[in-house]
Amino acid sequence: MDALIEIKNATLRFRIYRNRTPALKEKVIRLLSPKKVTAEEVIEFDALKNLNLSIKGGDRLGIIGLNGAGKSTMLKMIVGIYPPQKGSVHVKGKVTPLIELGTGFDHELSGRENIYLNGALLGRSFKQMRSMEDAIIEFSGLEEKIDMPIKYYSSGMMGRLAFSIGTIMEPEILLVDEVFSTGDAQFVEKARKRMAQLISKSSIVVIVSHSMEHIVQFCNRVIVLNRGVVVAEGDPAEMVDYYRANVANVPAVPAPAVIAPSPQAVAAAANAPHSVLAK
Amino acid sequence: MSTPVAPSEKERTILDATGSNIAEFAGRLDQQPQADASESFGHFLVRSLREMTNIKFALASFVVNNLRRRYRRSVLGFAWSLLNPILTMCVMTAVFSVLFKQDPKNFGVYVFTGLLPWTFFCESVIAGSGAITSAESFLKKVYIPKLFFPMVTVATEAANFGFSIVALLLLAAITGYQFKPTCLLVVPVIALLFAFTYFCALFCSIATVYFRDFAHILRVGLGAIFYTVPIVYPASLVPEEYRWFYAYHPFARFVELFRLTLCDGKVPSLDVWVAPVLVTVLAFLFAFALLKKTERDIIFRL
Repeated sequence: MDALIEIKNATLRFRIYRNRTPALKEKVIRLLSPKKVTAEEVIEFDALKNLNLSIKGGDRLGIIGLNGAGKSTMLKMIVGIYPPQKGSVHVKGKVTPLIELGTGFDHELSGRENIYLNGALLGRSFKQMRSMEDAIIEFSGLEEKIDMPIKYYSSGMMGRLAFSIGTIMEPEILLVDEVFSTGDAQFVEKARKRMAQLISKSSIVVIVSHSMEHIVQFCNRVIVLNRGVVVAEGDPAEMVDYYRANVANVPAVPAPAVIAPSPQAVAAAANAPHSVLAK
Repeated sequence: MSTPVAPSEKERTILDATGSNIAEFAGRLDQQPQADASESFGHFLVRSLREMTNIKFALASFVVNNLRRRYRRSVLGFAWSLLNPILTMCVMTAVFSVLFKQDPKNFGVYVFTGLLPWTFFCESVIAGSGAITSAESFLKKVYIPKLFFPMVTVATEAANFGFSIVALLLLAAITGYQFKPTCLLVVPVIALLFAFTYFCALFCSIATVYFRDFAHILRVGLGAIFYTVPIVYPASLVPEEYRWFYAYHPFARFVELFRLTLCDGKVPSLDVWVAPVLVTVLAFLFAFALLKKTERDIIFRL
């Protein structure tokens, strides 16, 4: 079985309800009130518009774009978190998302218990987790503190644990959203090696990154996403040039101008939440 | 804190070892849940069931962690889960036997065979209403079927319910209650109540996504229903001409099933089962019809 991701004409529409907490009480009042009140006010916008993309085995696809361009949303659509309103997404192969590492960490529980909990959330079985437990602990370098509640961990330690859990398995389809930097310098080096290894072993890799270096290093195909639309597609080096010239330099609507990101900005972006929508 | 850097050779072997081990496990995400809107109800049910079985390990982890967290850091630990209901029952039995001037031995068992299922149902449905909305941060970060979190809530409550039942049996045994083998018939009754409760909780959890005040309304409604069920008062206190009502009251029937099996050790006749089975089927149809309709929309409403 060869891995495949087929996105056909997909449109993902977010609706922002002016009324964040809809209540039954209001609905009843609205129904009973004699005046015709318009239904809930909704602001709609397309996070992804008519997206067509076919990713086959061997592809290492890079996605670049400004914050809020829809990069992370696209990964989440592939995982199945956001189903598109129009069009279809077809995925063949086991997906390993390295999107939000450490999702579902329970701070009251120990590191070891969190390994199982987090693994369970990633769709793994008890048997699998048991066979990988030691390897995860070893890679995270947290042997001494693994039975301590993780609320006593530093954020770097938590990041190391999360990374170790997320990357222990060889995926068929690997989705990466800015997870290149976690922990201290030593761990970053180890993590970089592990990532390179995972990327080389996966059938399909989709990488979202603001680091053009990583994009050029790991990808063989790149798309440039701007406000939910694929504006360019092709060879990594060309696309990075295109992005720098045509997207990153053009001020985004009325918002403060986004200039080509400085190294510091890139580093900051890697730690900050990437998608405003995903909050 | 310094960490020894593992040699890359070693990392490779770890990956290989786990990798080969992994191939035999069918991953949950193999079957992508990208259902199209034209899916039939039958297909939808099959897919839901498959998603649920694929995620059973996560279910177990969540439930165990919920229970652990409840009694963590207390000296008696898990003993509390038994001690708590025992103490509550002692207090309540004392109060009620004074209040209703009933024989405390029998009346205690009578009250709790009604009160425990009711408490389980109530707590599950009320906590279950918030199950999806409070899991927003999970649902937006990893793919988890929507029916998962209501199941976690109900299963956690069911575990507590189980502890309470055990406590009740202990208490009954101490007061000299004679058990009959037919008491085991309570197991299918519990299974039926569990199913009914889960379907209700699932329905309420989805309703809460669309109407955030749903749980408040529910709480009031359940409070009213509580007094229509002969739980804290004996059915014999109700005038004869109104008693027919209980035959059609699903929860009164549920309570009756519990009492017939657990208290009296009798085999409940078929007509007692009709109302509970019927409402369970109805709750199932309503809950899953609603889930099918809203499944792809819920995430955008959180």
